[in-house]
Amino acid sequence: MYETLIETRNLIKRYGDKVAVNNVSFEVKGGEVFGFLGPNGAGKTTTIKMIVGLLQPTTGIVKVAGYDVQTQALSAKAASGYVPDTPNLYAKLTGRELLRFVGDLYNLDRGQAARRADELLHMFDLSAAADDTFDSYSHGMQQKTALAAALMHDPKVLILDEPTVGLDPKSARLIKDILRRMADRGSAVMLSTHILEIAERMCDRIGIIYKGELIAVGTMDELRQLGQTAQSSLEDIFLNLTGGAEEAEMAEILK
Amino acid sequence: MSAPNAQVLPAVMKLLHLRLRIMVNSFRHAKRGSKIGLIILYTMLLGFGVFVFGLSKVLLDFVRSPDMARITGMDFAAVLVSIPALILSALFLGTLLTSFGVLLQALYLSGDMDFLIATPVPIRAVFIAKLLQAVIPNFAILALLGLPILFGLGASSGYGAVYYPLVILVMIALALAAAGLASLLVMLVVRVMSPRRAAEILAFFGALFGFACSQLGNFANLFGRDIHVSGTRLAGILLLAEVRWLPLNWAGQGLVALGQNHWGTGVLLLGGTLGVAVGVFVFALITAEQLYYSGWAGMQIVARKKTSRSSRATQPRTNVLGLGIARLFSKPVLGIVQKDYLTLRRDLRNISQLITPIILGIMYTLSLLRRSSETPFDGGAANVFSESFRVALSYTSVGMSLFVGWMVLSRLAQMGFSHEGRNYWLVKVSPVRTGQLLLAKFVVAYLPAVGLGLLFLLVISSVQGFSIVQFLYSLVIMLLCQAGTAGILLAFGAIGANFTWDDPRKMNAGGMGCLGQIATMLYLPVAFGAFIIPLGLVSVFGFPIAFGYLAGLLFGVGVTLVCAYVPLWLVRKRVERLGEA
Repeated sequence: MYETLIETRNLIKRYGDKVAVNNVSFEVKGGEVFGFLGPNGAGKTTTIKMIVGLLQPTTGIVKVAGYDVQTQALSAKAASGYVPDTPNLYAKLTGRELLRFVGDLYNLDRGQAARRADELLHMFDLSAAADDTFDSYSHGMQQKTALAAALMHDPKVLILDEPTVGLDPKSARLIKDILRRMADRGSAVMLSTHILEIAERMCDRIGIIYKGELIAVGTMDELRQLGQTAQSSLEDIFLNLTGGAEEAEMAEILK
Repeated sequence: MSAPNAQVLPAVMKLLHLRLRIMVNSFRHAKRGSKIGLIILYTMLLGFGVFVFGLSKVLLDFVRSPDMARITGMDFAAVLVSIPALILSALFLGTLLTSFGVLLQALYLSGDMDFLIATPVPIRAVFIAKLLQAVIPNFAILALLGLPILFGLGASSGYGAVYYPLVILVMIALALAAAGLASLLVMLVVRVMSPRRAAEILAFFGALFGFACSQLGNFANLFGRDIHVSGTRLAGILLLAEVRWLPLNWAGQGLVALGQNHWGTGVLLLGGTLGVAVGVFVFALITAEQLYYSGWAGMQIVARKKTSRSSRATQPRTNVLGLGIARLFSKPVLGIVQKDYLTLRRDLRNISQLITPIILGIMYTLSLLRRSSETPFDGGAANVFSESFRVALSYTSVGMSLFVGWMVLSRLAQMGFSHEGRNYWLVKVSPVRTGQLLLAKFVVAYLPAVGLGLLFLLVISSVQGFSIVQFLYSLVIMLLCQAGTAGILLAFGAIGANFTWDDPRKMNAGGMGCLGQIATMLYLPVAFGAFIIPLGLVSVFGFPIAFGYLAGLLFGVGVTLVCAYVPLWLVRKRVERLGEA
């Protein structure tokens, strides 16, 4: 059996009086793709930022590949890759330079980093633009470059925030295949998305966060049991749990 | 495609109203201090306009007077009528130049063109609104100077009432024509290079121009030439405005003619001006709109990418120097240093900030070298103090290299972390130790400062005939003082790091930046004194000069290394938390 590669325990993040993440606990084992769903402002990005080390939790524990992100930050970061929803990357670096820079940050051998960069650029169909600066890339190209950067050091844990936004179907399919392959090789993949079809098709388990609280975690079958019907789609389950069912009914009436 | 022309004007008014709404909202939501400041500023500007009007009337009355003709032996009446042509020409050129940058921003970099064009608003209306948005603020500034002078001229010359509204009409027509031409220029430039790159180049040259203007007096003193303008030369320049075939002169001459009630000439010239101006505006507007909408200007993107594909050779990542440096630093440190140098070099807006210290340094060095280095003391028992003072004074020229280094470090060290901008997350999620990050940022700032300092030191020491010992000691002073400066500025910059900028010229370290500057202004004299004072003191007490050097090294190295290391050590915890929202 695969080990637990992402673990959060009683994770809380407060901003003054506002509780952005409230007592969130879950695990993601190697070999699985974990989907993290929630409405806007639910706390998905805040949770993800605490996992990758961009935010310090108010209380609680976060472990990545067995390393505590707060006390063993370097080891935890060395084991994980992160793709944000908005790929802010150095505008004046070319795609190739950016990947090599990431290779340096992760202490990869120079030759190995150069080869890996070429492989990833080819895989994401970015070879033609590899020597153009990042500010000339389209949004999709920027997104793919950010993903390539996250994969440079072949991480055991990959965390993605809205990875398919702005991607053409071919690229979106490529990313799904890559994530699936990573999971099959024993890595843990965690992705947040608003697109329920992607979560339904790609993810082995799904966690639903709402108003900072993790209100449901499980496989599709387990979530259907929560929805108390075998025919429920993820959309129905999601809307029922997050109180969006009324809005959906109104939208139907307005059609 | 485009809606009937009848819809254009209402659409323009709607868009301008939207712009006005944005301005009003910005004002309403601004802090009270900003609001008060703005009100005071606008009141002062209005007052300034009135002042210029009064002053120009008085001056022009005096210039026109028989007393002036008697003193100078010249009749200025003919020259004065050239003033409107000159001012209107300056207005046209000024609007053309200033509108270019604003239109580049408005059409290609503001991000709202796609939204506006996708709405059911005539594209022509969008273009007109953008043009007006570009021209109105610049026109207002230029008119603030030009309009009172022209009104003053009219008042002192006793021009008819029709002169004043026509001045305003002509100024508006010329400004619109200039804005139209600027929009065409934008299309041409964007065809050749990306809008962002064009904006960077514009910013670079704008900064250089602004700096050159601010240093005009120093440049003149430096080259020892007095700016000397004779009345005859000035009159000759002004008489260029008399040349009839220059279209820009028609407006001025037409206004003067109408003011003097020469209706035939005035109507012809002014009518011609307005006709040409409106024609230029309409032609430029329609052409620019077509070029934008057809994507003609955007074709440079395709052309540029084809060129990039053909130049595939990537530079080897290591050369001899690189291999040597690579052994000194870990990969993360080297990677960050390399990345920072690449990004600094490639954005011209950074270069414009770094080039000004170099130019200032050159100017002050030349100025310094032209002065003599004789001591003020002379004779008798004061010889001992004279000698010690001379020894110490001989090193003050090292101060120039420290000054240049300090200016460079104010940008590179103090903004070292802010330079990361919104990209900082990439460094933060990677397994880079805080010490490695601080070292990398230190190296990025330190090396260029030291390189420039060394250059200045070499020049100064060779001109002033430093001995080997003096040069080496100066080098040590420069290297170590810069290290302390870098440490202090980097530490303050880390505390005040700002990652939310979009334009590198707008990154700042806030209050911490000011504190860092103050701290280094206190540090530098102390550090420099630690090296130099022992040299002076040993002469006073009769010790060999070698003791002075040793003592200076002891104190100086101590002070500078402490200031290089301790501030960074103190902020290391803060650096670990940087970038957390």
